[in-house]
Amino acid sequence: MSEHRSLWWIDWRLSGGPLARETIGRFLFFCLLGFALLSLLLSGGANRLLADRYAITAVLRANIPSAEADRLARKIAALPPVRSAAYRDPEAAWKEFLRAYPGLEPLRAAGGNPLPGYIEVRIRHDRLTGDGVSLVVSALRSVSHVEQVLAGEEWLPRLLNAGRYASWFCRGLFGAFLAGFFLFCRLQERGRAVSLAGDFAFLAERGVPAGRIAVSRAAGAAVSGFLLAAAGTAAGGGALFLLLRKVPLLEGVIGPPADLFLPRTAAAVVVFSCGSALLSAAASLLGWRGARSGRK
Amino acid sequence: MTRGTRVLASFLVAALSLGFLFAASVPAARDIAGELRRERGRLLEMKEREEKTASELTEALRKEKLSKGRVGELQERLKAQRRLLSRVDRRISALNETLERTEKAVRDLEEEHGQARTGLQRAEAVAFTGQRAGEGDPSEPSARERERYFMRLYLAADAEGVARITLARERKEEELSGIERQVAVTERKRTQEKKVGETLVSRQEEERRRLADIEREKKRKEKELKSLRAKIARMESVVSRVERQVKERERRARKGTAGSAPREPAEAPRRFASLSGGLSAPLPGKVVTRFGRQHDKTFDVTIENRGVEIEASSGAPVKSVGQGEVAFAGAVSGFGNVLIVQHGGGLFSVYGRLETFLAKQGEAVKKGTVVGRLPESPSGKSVLYLELRAGGTAIDPTSAISLDR
Repeated sequence: MSEHRSLWWIDWRLSGGPLARETIGRFLFFCLLGFALLSLLLSGGANRLLADRYAITAVLRANIPSAEADRLARKIAALPPVRSAAYRDPEAAWKEFLRAYPGLEPLRAAGGNPLPGYIEVRIRHDRLTGDGVSLVVSALRSVSHVEQVLAGEEWLPRLLNAGRYASWFCRGLFGAFLAGFFLFCRLQERGRAVSLAGDFAFLAERGVPAGRIAVSRAAGAAVSGFLLAAAGTAAGGGALFLLLRKVPLLEGVIGPPADLFLPRTAAAVVVFSCGSALLSAAASLLGWRGARSGRK
Repeated sequence: MTRGTRVLASFLVAALSLGFLFAASVPAARDIAGELRRERGRLLEMKEREEKTASELTEALRKEKLSKGRVGELQERLKAQRRLLSRVDRRISALNETLERTEKAVRDLEEEHGQARTGLQRAEAVAFTGQRAGEGDPSEPSARERERYFMRLYLAADAEGVARITLARERKEEELSGIERQVAVTERKRTQEKKVGETLVSRQEEERRRLADIEREKKRKEKELKSLRAKIARMESVVSRVERQVKERERRARKGTAGSAPREPAEAPRRFASLSGGLSAPLPGKVVTRFGRQHDKTFDVTIENRGVEIEASSGAPVKSVGQGEVAFAGAVSGFGNVLIVQHGGGLFSVYGRLETFLAKQGEAVKKGTVVGRLPESPSGKSVLYLELRAGGTAIDPTSAISLDR
């Protein structure tokens, strides 16, 4: 058993220096991948950005008391797809409007405020779909206090499609990086197997089966891969956390730093580490086979 | 019938009486009778003149009264006209104030309308450029959508404001034109009323001039009447003197024949009372004009009534006051139809202002015999003139007959 275990770390014994350099490189790469993974995970692709930019406006009828409007906003906020619902009184609406059209302020100095109050409804990023929006809109339209619901029916499908494409693109990019990393690791493993071919032949001449050597090396690569992935993702997560704390603007795109500590995030990190372990093992085996067959 | 004419009639009756007396007088008194006739003729002429002057004066008084009434009426109308003009002026003043206020309101509304229009156009420009700038911006699509919606509300409110101001301005303009029409109508009315006022003033002045003429004429007539009456009085005194002379002659003649004692005028009522059967009232009624000297307020003169006037119901029968013979029945100027009953002994009763005679001249009548009838009158009242004469002298009928006063 101890012999087997020694085979796991044979590369370290035979080629410690280059393997240390490789490990550092892989760690750094895992840091990047972990950063990207967590960013992708938190942002949901472009969903977080879109959910931050998209809002349903429920324009209230005139002369609705503020207390009534606040009560209605709280009821709307309780809907499952709704992230937040905030009531803006006519005065606030007028100020926002004048900020958007500053040239109008002097024109209507004596005319008073013609705008009603409204409730701005934000959808959860993970529920930003056509169905989720329709559910909220139909609920709003059934309320008698609501004069008009502005949900961007004209441009929302295009927006959702764009978000979907952006998410796919981000995931594809991540996958491409992952694939590239895998190929790079395979090349490293093959190169090391070639360089250590004499040593492995010596062991074979003394009765150690080649398959056992390959499996032991793969097991060692899997363990190191798992650990490196976990550590790299944790480091990447830490960097993301710091970045999000430093640049709050990114919260609108990626999400709040607190989301990094959610169990689902941790589970995703574990799954990613396991996957990395498997990929590392696969790269080790494929590199071994490539070295034995003489293929590149 | 004026009191002057009554005086004239009295004199005429007296003259008639004297005529009867003279028929029985002495032929030796022809010179006195001639003088009496001349005086009587002159007196009659003067009485006619007096009557004419009195009627002219009455006419002048009537005209004066009418003219004064017209002046008063014109004055009242002028006052009313001035009040109306004052009201019209106040109305015009109030309308002008309203007009000014409304014109100012219209100007304000026009200015407000212009500002609102400009504001709307600028807002539309801002909305257009803002919408163009925001189109396709993916960063805040919901905010942009909301802003566009609010811009529509804003523009709608602005357009509604412009429409409201336009409507208000149109209404004000209509109101203004209405007030202008009212002002024009009121101005026309004022002009008309002013003309009416001027006409009234000129009519009043004309009426005043006419009144002054009438008053002058009245004074002249009054003066003339006074002068005539003075002359008549003098003339009557002459006639009375002549009558006294005649009576003196008659008395002397009777003395020569009967040797009876002369009868004094104070005994005249007793003489009437001593008539056979006594005397009775000619008709039931009330004495409205008394015997003797009376002051006439109308002409401001003192006249001598030779009889009384008894007011009775119109159409009432007139009875003889005593037994006698109808000496005269005919018309006398100023007294209308006059009937004279001679009771003998120089006693006569005279009934004036009769409508019809029911006894003929020369017919013997008894006390209470109906000799005539009073005229019908719309008022239901007529007046009987009754005079009693004893020896050519008029006596107070109420001293001989019991009459209601």
